[in-house]
Amino acid sequence: MARRLAGNDAVRGDAVELRIADASVRAYTEESIAAAALASGTRVMSRSLKYHRPRTFFCLEGHCSGCLVRLDGVPNLRACQAPCAHGLEVEGQNAFPSTEVDLLGAVDFLFARGLDHHTLMTGSSMLNRLANKVVRQLSGLGKLPARANTELPEVQRFDVDVCVIGGGPAGLAAAAATARAGKRTVLVDDQLRPGGSMRADPRTGRSAAESSLAAATGAGATVLARSTAVGYFPEDDGGVLVVSAPDRLYRIFARSWIWATGGYVVNLPFPENDRPGVIAARAVGRLLVDHAIVAGDKICLVEVGALADDCTALAGALTRAGAEVTRVPFENVITVRGRSWASQVDTTTGKIDCDIVAVAAIPSPASEGPRQQKCQVVLDPAAGGFRVTVDDHGQTTTPGVWACGDVTGYRGPAAAAADGARVGTNVAAA
Amino acid sequence: MAGKIVLCRCEDVTLSDVEHSVSRGYVDIEEVKRYTGFGTGPCQGKECLGPVATALARLTGEPPGAIAPFTSRPPIAPTPLRILARDPGAHRFDDDKDE
Repeated sequence: MARRLAGNDAVRGDAVELRIADASVRAYTEESIAAAALASGTRVMSRSLKYHRPRTFFCLEGHCSGCLVRLDGVPNLRACQAPCAHGLEVEGQNAFPSTEVDLLGAVDFLFARGLDHHTLMTGSSMLNRLANKVVRQLSGLGKLPARANTELPEVQRFDVDVCVIGGGPAGLAAAAATARAGKRTVLVDDQLRPGGSMRADPRTGRSAAESSLAAATGAGATVLARSTAVGYFPEDDGGVLVVSAPDRLYRIFARSWIWATGGYVVNLPFPENDRPGVIAARAVGRLLVDHAIVAGDKICLVEVGALADDCTALAGALTRAGAEVTRVPFENVITVRGRSWASQVDTTTGKIDCDIVAVAAIPSPASEGPRQQKCQVVLDPAAGGFRVTVDDHGQTTTPGVWACGDVTGYRGPAAAAADGARVGTNVAAA
Repeated sequence: MAGKIVLCRCEDVTLSDVEHSVSRGYVDIEEVKRYTGFGTGPCQGKECLGPVATALARLTGEPPGAIAPFTSRPPIAPTPLRILARDPGAHRFDDDKDE
């Protein structure tokens, strides 16, 4: 079971009561709903679209679809990006009658070998019509909101020298460097609190995240939290980056762009890798470092060789927090057992009891924005996906567009910060 | 029977779905996306693009550098339409009454 570590009240904020899946839950204002749900024993949060397999968060960074919930009558919101507040009503979705007991999960058993929708019920036109009717009833994501939200957000325009996208170690260091050099700098970050992977790594931690943020704002950079870059529109007034915040739309015009979006945590391909309880190692680290929550009593860390140092640091911190940690090379994993929550990992060297499977794969570069700015990317399996190619100075193939940190290939928080500072200095001098 | 290896959790696309796609001759990443539906869910490929592309390189024998990503289009993340409603860059229809 997940548990909150004692003696960390200061980081949790005020105690609140909210309702998660019809149960009253005590949580804290500095916790995301996903973190509070795990700490209070709520496990399955939604169901998958096709096979109705049980789902909960995987990334805890607002990027995967595992923790989509209905929040105060509004569907499809990420529980990991919503802070706890008193009286909130959190409901699971895509399940009948409930996320824990979903009769539609029968689809998963009936099609254990997989379901090819190209040839499903296409033999007879009558059966095909019936099948389509059923599928239309079952599919879709969530139900419509309980009421229309008619409040339209403010639109705010920024005209700056430098726009940094991503408030992790690289982005904060880059913004501090450009602002210190006198450049008007705005940084956007999509998380509840800036800091990125520093908030998930015991070697850096919350304090490093907060001092990096203070360094950027102290140098004069404007930092916008909970602000997601949603698209670059080159045809609009010479090119605008549109950024979405909970109650605001930002339109950003910049002379130079620095992409510091890092990498998305991804899964590894082993059987039953999508079971709830199989979560990103960085999410386990984030729970520990940022929320003082130990994700489980027995944590099986499935890792790739390239991340051995990161895993050693995480395993050490988890052990000191009282968890039992078993490290397994990814190649040795046979399968995960446990239907609605992982309870055992079968490996080539034996069976491992666990209540969390933490997956450490190389994060996949978050290169969508650079791709919209026509920057060249290259598939590099050692970098976890499509990394942005940069020259020695950090410049991409598009003039005025730069990239630093893990979006150019995984390097980890400390090296990403150094890279961000270096590229920020280059941008200021360019 | 071996359990499912899920590459795209949004749309429940498995490694065997990608293998099936390749066996049918759909080997380009845009074709695989359309055939299997990977990358078309709420995460829009954040979790699956890298792993699927890496699997494709292995299954087709192509060098990884020869595999391009699928096209990235706005919105990069799910965005409520009301957030965009006042964007002056948004297209306005002729019959908008409050113009």
